[in-house]
Amino acid sequence: MLWCERTEQVKANKHLPTQENAGQMVKDELAEKCQKLFQAFLEEYQTADGEVKYVRDAEELIRPERNTLLVSFTDLEGFNQELATTIQEEFYRVYPFLCRAVRNFARDHGNVPVNKEFYLAIQDLPTRHKIRELSSLRIGSLVRISAQVVRTHPVHPELVSGTFLCLDCQGVCPDVPQQFKYAPPTVCRNPVCSNRARFHLDTHRSKFIDFQKVRIQETQAELPRGSIPRSLEVILRAEAVETAQAGDRCDITGSLIVVPDVSQLSTAGVRAETSSRVGGRQGYENEGLRGLKALGVRELSYRLAFLACHVAPTNPRFGGKELRDEDQTAESIKSQMSVQEWEKVFEMSQDKNLYHNLGTSLFPTIHGNDEVKRGILLMLFGGVPKTTMEGTSLRGDVNVCIVGDPSTAKSQFLKHVEEFSPRAVYTSGKASSAAGLTAAVVRDEESHEFVIEAGALMLADNGVCCIDEFDKMETRDQVAIHEAMEQQTISITKAGVKATLNARTSILAAANPVGGRYDRSKSLKQNVNLSAPIMSRFDLFFILVDDCNEVTDYAIARRIVDLHSRIENSVDRLYSLDEIRRYLLFARQFKPKISGESEEFIVEQYKRLRQRDGSGGVATSAWRITVRQLESMIRLSEGMARMHCCDEVQPKHVKEAFRLLNKSIIRVETPDINLDQDQNQEMEAEEEGENGHDVPNGVNDQDNGQVNGHTHGVTGQTNGVNGHADSSSRPSLRLTFPEYRRISNLLVLHLRRAEEAEEEEELKKSAVINWYLKEMESEIDSEEELINRKSLIEKVLHRLVHYDHILIELSQGGLKGSETETQEEVLVVNPNYTLED
Amino acid sequence: MPSSHDWINKPLGVVEAMFAQSNSNPEWEAKVLEYFKGQLREKESHSWVPSLNDVPLHYLKPNSLVKFRCLVQDMFDPEFYMGVYETVDPSTKANVLRCGKYKDVTECGVDLNSRNTVTAERQTFYCVPIPGESPWAKESYGCSSQARVVPSTSYVPSRQKRSYEEDDDDMDTQPQKQREPHTEPHGNGDSKRQETEAPSSQTTAPSDCSSHLDLNFPLPGERGPACLVKVYEGLDSFKLNDTLEIYGILSVNPVLTVLGEEKDPSLLLLNPTESMETPEEQRAHDPPASLVPRLHMLYARPLQHNNPLLPSAPTEDQSAFVSSFLVEMASVRAELLAYLTHVLLGDGLAAEYLLLHLISNVYTRRDVLPLGKFTLNLSGCPLNSYTERLYQIVQQLVPCSYRLSMSLHTMNSMRLVPKKDYVANRLVSGALQLARNTSLFLDETQLEQGQLDSSGVRNITALGNLISWQKVDYDFSYHQMEFPCNINVLVTSEGRSLLPSDCQVPLQPQVTPPNMEEYLTTIHMAQFTSQINKFRVYLSLARTLDYSISDEVTKAVEDDFVDMRKDDPQSVTAEDLHRMLVVARLLSLSLGQTTLSRDGWMRAKHIDMLRRSRTEQQKSLNGNEP
Repeated sequence: MLWCERTEQVKANKHLPTQENAGQMVKDELAEKCQKLFQAFLEEYQTADGEVKYVRDAEELIRPERNTLLVSFTDLEGFNQELATTIQEEFYRVYPFLCRAVRNFARDHGNVPVNKEFYLAIQDLPTRHKIRELSSLRIGSLVRISAQVVRTHPVHPELVSGTFLCLDCQGVCPDVPQQFKYAPPTVCRNPVCSNRARFHLDTHRSKFIDFQKVRIQETQAELPRGSIPRSLEVILRAEAVETAQAGDRCDITGSLIVVPDVSQLSTAGVRAETSSRVGGRQGYENEGLRGLKALGVRELSYRLAFLACHVAPTNPRFGGKELRDEDQTAESIKSQMSVQEWEKVFEMSQDKNLYHNLGTSLFPTIHGNDEVKRGILLMLFGGVPKTTMEGTSLRGDVNVCIVGDPSTAKSQFLKHVEEFSPRAVYTSGKASSAAGLTAAVVRDEESHEFVIEAGALMLADNGVCCIDEFDKMETRDQVAIHEAMEQQTISITKAGVKATLNARTSILAAANPVGGRYDRSKSLKQNVNLSAPIMSRFDLFFILVDDCNEVTDYAIARRIVDLHSRIENSVDRLYSLDEIRRYLLFARQFKPKISGESEEFIVEQYKRLRQRDGSGGVATSAWRITVRQLESMIRLSEGMARMHCCDEVQPKHVKEAFRLLNKSIIRVETPDINLDQDQNQEMEAEEEGENGHDVPNGVNDQDNGQVNGHTHGVTGQTNGVNGHADSSSRPSLRLTFPEYRRISNLLVLHLRRAEEAEEEEELKKSAVINWYLKEMESEIDSEEELINRKSLIEKVLHRLVHYDHILIELSQGGLKGSETETQEEVLVVNPNYTLED
Repeated sequence: MPSSHDWINKPLGVVEAMFAQSNSNPEWEAKVLEYFKGQLREKESHSWVPSLNDVPLHYLKPNSLVKFRCLVQDMFDPEFYMGVYETVDPSTKANVLRCGKYKDVTECGVDLNSRNTVTAERQTFYCVPIPGESPWAKESYGCSSQARVVPSTSYVPSRQKRSYEEDDDDMDTQPQKQREPHTEPHGNGDSKRQETEAPSSQTTAPSDCSSHLDLNFPLPGERGPACLVKVYEGLDSFKLNDTLEIYGILSVNPVLTVLGEEKDPSLLLLNPTESMETPEEQRAHDPPASLVPRLHMLYARPLQHNNPLLPSAPTEDQSAFVSSFLVEMASVRAELLAYLTHVLLGDGLAAEYLLLHLISNVYTRRDVLPLGKFTLNLSGCPLNSYTERLYQIVQQLVPCSYRLSMSLHTMNSMRLVPKKDYVANRLVSGALQLARNTSLFLDETQLEQGQLDSSGVRNITALGNLISWQKVDYDFSYHQMEFPCNINVLVTSEGRSLLPSDCQVPLQPQVTPPNMEEYLTTIHMAQFTSQINKFRVYLSLARTLDYSISDEVTKAVEDDFVDMRKDDPQSVTAEDLHRMLVVARLLSLSLGQTTLSRDGWMRAKHIDMLRRSRTEQQKSLNGNEP
């Protein structure tokens, strides 16, 4: 039965023009009822504060360039559900009547010319369809589709109502309605005149409407893999023309109509030419065929077109409204999801282990590198963009750079993100010059006009731009994207074109170390061929080192062999990519605010970083901590809060952000302290490492001294794992650097206190050791461990005295005499040493 | 012709009879499909159906059942048609329900106001013959066909069968390729015959049609019919670049052309002031039926491989065939290896790698990682047409191949990546739109110093992406769209290639024949066709075998990897392990073994070691190679 109704509908549409031509002899009662109800809606519908909502809009219509009244469908639904449903289902049928209602309404509320035509546009239709979902079922009803505009045709006038002059009796046939085609009256109105063919259109007394054809295409995200995107012709009229440009993504409201897939007379010339060139013989065949056609042979196929009444671009590219993330709220996203989808999102938000699970689900084929995964995850969630009171905007996007040895899955990270993220662009620094990356002014081959060609950064607006081989990019080009990274805009001044384009994109870059492999004895700065200003614009730097270690080797081997041995589910994801995508979309709607508590916490952490940065002493951390890092920390905290769907940034979020930041940039790890080797060689190496930081700290401070100079032997995240493995196997001999530092600080504090109290006894070396062991008492379980600890502390003291010169050994007989006596040394803190953290 | 073949000659009659019986019960559609499927399932019945690939269009009867071996090059937007409509007989005024399915035009006297009209949806695919199909494959398909074709024109060639093959030969000889001397005399005969035929034939004179109608073949110099395939069922099961054998009803009704040409407004009820299609679109979507016939699909079989020597369908036949062939696998491999060694101037290791490359296949994708690809870079190739000859030999072995000469000019001017043309609303093809398992032969020895322009850089990037990720980013102007592919890329170069590759083998010729041409021709001639055919079957079959690694071997491989790393962490990276596992896989498959054995692993390690030491050696020579 259903199909029966459907065909009726199709036919109704096809015949509409003919009916109208017949001068609306057929009365459409439903439509007229709709007209009345709709007019009532316009007259009566009130906003919350009691104002009749559409009166003001109607008054606006007096202006000569206006002719379309924009009505919200939600208002309509609130006013009369039945009316709304009828309009939605029978839109094409009732549309002319609704327009008439608008005309009456406008006339009642303003002094408008009598014969001015008015139109209706409807917005806020709750459901949105994809092009692929449009079937003949939806013909004639009101739908909203989202798509990308790929081609626009010029605007031209379309005749809507013609006034004809009879060439025989000079009589006038006014207001002959036209729909889609030029339709002179079938017969002259003068009863004595029998003219049926000779009419002249009086253009001055006819009514025209702006008309434009555009073609839209499915967006990438909606497309099933391996298919060609489908497209649809859209007819825009009245005020809707010129609202969309090629390349825009739009929401288009209107109805689906059927047109026979026929060409029109104007193209016949071209076709005729084609056929005459194909072969002379067909010429006379045509004659016979024409005869066939006269008998009524016809083509069987039709095509769909879309008659739009309202177009809303969802990504205005040149200035305009800020419609970031399509101006949606968490609520509106939720309303677009199915129940199951929403339940999954909710379930995910409740996942205690979400952080980890998301990371592993996103990058299932990459082993380890958890910190990088987390960093990228927070990048995807992003911080909240802000505008200061002075109007400067602060970016919310997080930029991440991965530096690492060849074959450490850098490109895979990038590829994964590109695959995953709906608006991501993957490009290689080697292949793309600045023009390809930012934007270029090019001359159009056909029209010879200058046009702006979008570069990768622009294409990734509101998304992620993955740049592989970032270091291979020419410095000139690196500078070009400099602006994009901080200001999130691209300016072009070229060939008379001046434009500022949005490029609000996160950058995920991968770079190779200078010498092919990461040299740990050098600083990050020396290892990567990037200019300091660019480096400082990355929130997170990750270093991947191809490290030799049995545990990781095994894990890597396992993963690779698994991949190859056709074990079907060797890619196990807890969440599917679609689920993560949906979750991301939802979570990104949150705009977390920083709570007071967190604020304090951030300040505290920042102070700590700054202090550590400022003070000299043992192997200072390498980066100069600046406001940029503070901003990074805030962004990362916000991303963290977003991930948990929180409206408030809590201290735990800050903590993780701080940890990550610490892991990545600031604490580019110092090598483990090897206490066993007293050999000088070791010392030299150590010394070298320490010297390192003097050099790069002063690296070209072009950027207002905000350079993040950087030092010291660096180990990556992969190494972090090793560190633990190592220290556990030989705990007494090796110490991680932080541990060493912790002990040293403890001792320094203790000694200072003792010095002040002038407790000579306490300063004795043995006393210090005993004090330390006592302090550690709680952690020591066995005798063996006690001995270990003792030898450890002795070695630490030795090192502090002899290599780091933090402590000074005073023997009783004066300053470090040549005594061999058993007299115990007294330890004092080097007066020049300033304690840090 | 026996009446039992009505389903081939008059399929529309069958359809209409079933429709008439159905009394508008919609199940008749499924019945029709079932009927044709059943007919085709009969032994050898599919070989009775004439193929658009072998038979010139003008020999085929309109509205008969034909088959077409093709690649889906583009998918157009869905269209609606009258699935059922009513006609009124002008004399008797009797209404008759008619079926509009599998047709392009209606009968006379359509009652457009009938309430019984049913609108249905169908989609058009633009299909081209499989790009780069080797001449031997075409020939072999042609020979196996048992279709008796009666030309629709009055002209009946006396040596009908023979002439098709010659036609094929002619078509496949690409312009840049040297004409083999033996085709010369036939060529003369050909041209004479063509002269007499010319007036009735459109397809044999493509030179003039290409001037105004671009048939959009992916590779330059290709010929053969392109086809607009109307698809009715299972729209979502077809993807772009699928290779299919389509059985359908041929429609070359010239009315189509006329209808598209001139519309008499009085005959059509609705004539928009503005046509919905521009002339460019019109030309792309509705080319004259005489050039691009319409095919209404009844049944489509995805082609797992395009080798006519192998049983096509995965039936019992095939498994029997496979198991019988497995026995001789090892011996055929040895012969093929010897042959390739000769071809590669006595270099056994390179021959081994070439063999592995030829059976490689992307068997699965893990996320972004294509697994099983094995791009080979054969460096140190002698100059002066050696690579050209090498390609001809590869072409003799594989069903589909293409040689891309990487000269600066071609890189700058050729279109490799397909691009969406929004004016004509179609996908303009590029040389990288290839069917699965096509051998792409990149000849870097043709490269010279000079400037790559922006399209050259794009082309090189596209090649790099193809090799690394086995996907091509089609250009949709506003964004790019990835299409996964499965193409065997072989790069021949002087030094190390500028493109990435899975594995590089420097060629070490053991013999230096004074006359390379002669040497290779002799080797080639020395092989019997039956021998070559065995090689062809071997290469296609080895790639279809299943493969697995047992837990035990898995463990051994892992241990081995860790041990190797222990000795020298720099020597073996994760990437090396990746490659060695691929080598091990291919090596096992090449011997007909479907699981990895310890021996297999050791062998893979061994040849990889040999290859690496050779590469090292080459490096230390620092480019001072012959």
